[in-house]
Amino acid sequence: MFRVCLVHKRRYFDSMFLMQVSQRLRGEPGIGEAAVLMGTPANVRILKDLGFSGPELDTAGPDDLVVAVAGESEALVRQALAKLEEWLVSGRAAVPGAPKTLVQALSQLPEANIAVISLPGWHAGREAKIALEHGLNVFLFSSNVPLEEEIALKRLAQEKGLLVMGPDCGTAIIAGVGLGFANAVRRGPVGLIAASGTGAQEFTSLIHRAGSGISHAIGTGSRDFSDAVGGLTALSALAALTEDPATEVIVFLTKPPGAETLARLISQVKRSKKPVVACFLGVIPEKVRREWPGKLVTTVDEAVAAALELLGLPKPPFLAYDPSELAELAADEGKKLSPRQRFVRGIFSGGTFCYQAQLLFHNARVPFRSNVPLLEEYALLNPLSSEGHTLLDMGDEFFTQGRLHPMIDPTLRRERILAEAKDPEVAVLLLDFVLGYNASPDPVGDLLPALRTAQEEARKRGEEILVVASVCGTEADLQGYAHQVDQLEDVGALVFPTQAQAVQFVLALVRGRR
Amino acid sequence: MSSEKSGVHKLLAEGPKAINLGLEEFAEALATQGVKVVHVDWSPPPPEAQELSDLLDKLL
Repeated sequence: MFRVCLVHKRRYFDSMFLMQVSQRLRGEPGIGEAAVLMGTPANVRILKDLGFSGPELDTAGPDDLVVAVAGESEALVRQALAKLEEWLVSGRAAVPGAPKTLVQALSQLPEANIAVISLPGWHAGREAKIALEHGLNVFLFSSNVPLEEEIALKRLAQEKGLLVMGPDCGTAIIAGVGLGFANAVRRGPVGLIAASGTGAQEFTSLIHRAGSGISHAIGTGSRDFSDAVGGLTALSALAALTEDPATEVIVFLTKPPGAETLARLISQVKRSKKPVVACFLGVIPEKVRREWPGKLVTTVDEAVAAALELLGLPKPPFLAYDPSELAELAADEGKKLSPRQRFVRGIFSGGTFCYQAQLLFHNARVPFRSNVPLLEEYALLNPLSSEGHTLLDMGDEFFTQGRLHPMIDPTLRRERILAEAKDPEVAVLLLDFVLGYNASPDPVGDLLPALRTAQEEARKRGEEILVVASVCGTEADLQGYAHQVDQLEDVGALVFPTQAQAVQFVLALVRGRR
Repeated sequence: MSSEKSGVHKLLAEGPKAINLGLEEFAEALATQGVKVVHVDWSPPPPEAQELSDLLDKLL
């Protein structure tokens, strides 16, 4: 095996492009292992774990491109490297006259009002600051922006009457336009302020499927509601939506805020002329329930129902399910399982879906394990090995280092489905599928072969594995909601209209088998 | 305050007109939605430029 590891100083490509290029390189004749990455400490570690080494690798910095290839012979590796160079040059070829900086871009689009930033975290803050100084709002997708930088950016934005959505903001919808991972939804009277990306996707999709629509869905980033940040973006967003003529009802969607932040929100909500619903995903202290001046709910479904009720709209049939029917269905489906099949394995691409599932398990007093535990007592020792009921966030850093998010790249979820199917104690595979802009063009299609193999594996043992799923999205999404559901039903999956219902079904099944 | 407030309000009233830095797919998704977007062919600033900018930040 011939190995080579090259470092190109100060040559930048975005991670999505580099993942695609790496994958292509691995498909070249005689190539075993190949990775093309930016030289961050984490990526250098990955390469060392793959057996690459050398003095050059030790000099790599986060702004350097690192190419690591192992192949059957030097000739084949050199051949692959030549191809790689062609792809690098042609794949991301800049349009002639393309701006090299944000300021140059502004001269091409002087009417711009937002910067969408998904650069590596250590550069993102600097560019966000430049954007704010030039009067642009910011959608900051990047994670790993230091907390102090986030606070400084948000204070600057507040001074300038601008919004910073993020850092770590996956989703926003502004005046009908989706930013980042967002679904195609109708415009309407519901305004959303959300700290969680997939939570915002589920909420906005359900509002659309209920026949209503979204005025704006403003992302805050995951840390905004903490006392360290103090809800700077959330408060600006609340003020903006309160004055926005298109918004009639405002919904917060976040984990429970810090105590000081909550007090600030309460005081502003009390002054708001519009009804405000709080969906605090988490364990809510009684004091918070008492003090919140509006409707307070704890699941996305309840938030959708509360918003619709405030608008005077009827509950859509898909939210008006009967728990006893769910229990009956669970009893029927449970008959297909053998006595040793006891456990649920949730393999989620959406962070909020993993979180919401944990919350519902916790409320039902069904113990479980998770790699991103709701409470310490639920921590999973080894994310690669499930124990009992296990609820996995496959988008967590542990799984995504050096890879694309599972909403784009199905590889790890596929592998995990196959691994779980080998465990004879597994009764249910609980899955989410997220549609929308920038997600995989066929999220269900990506996993169908693995689901079929999993079912065959169980059948060989004379058993059946239940596949329980929910699809987050709308018919207007590129992937098509109905088409995705149909594909799942074709392999016998039980598809529920919301993720919360899929989890409730699974809990009914678990209760029935105790 | 009115000019300070107009940034957010203009964004909500007019919808996004965007400058994209980073994943090119984000610019493409915006373009397919009919949004005016300019993608920046970004590269990391030279270390000296970054040091200078950090120093200026501290001084100003």
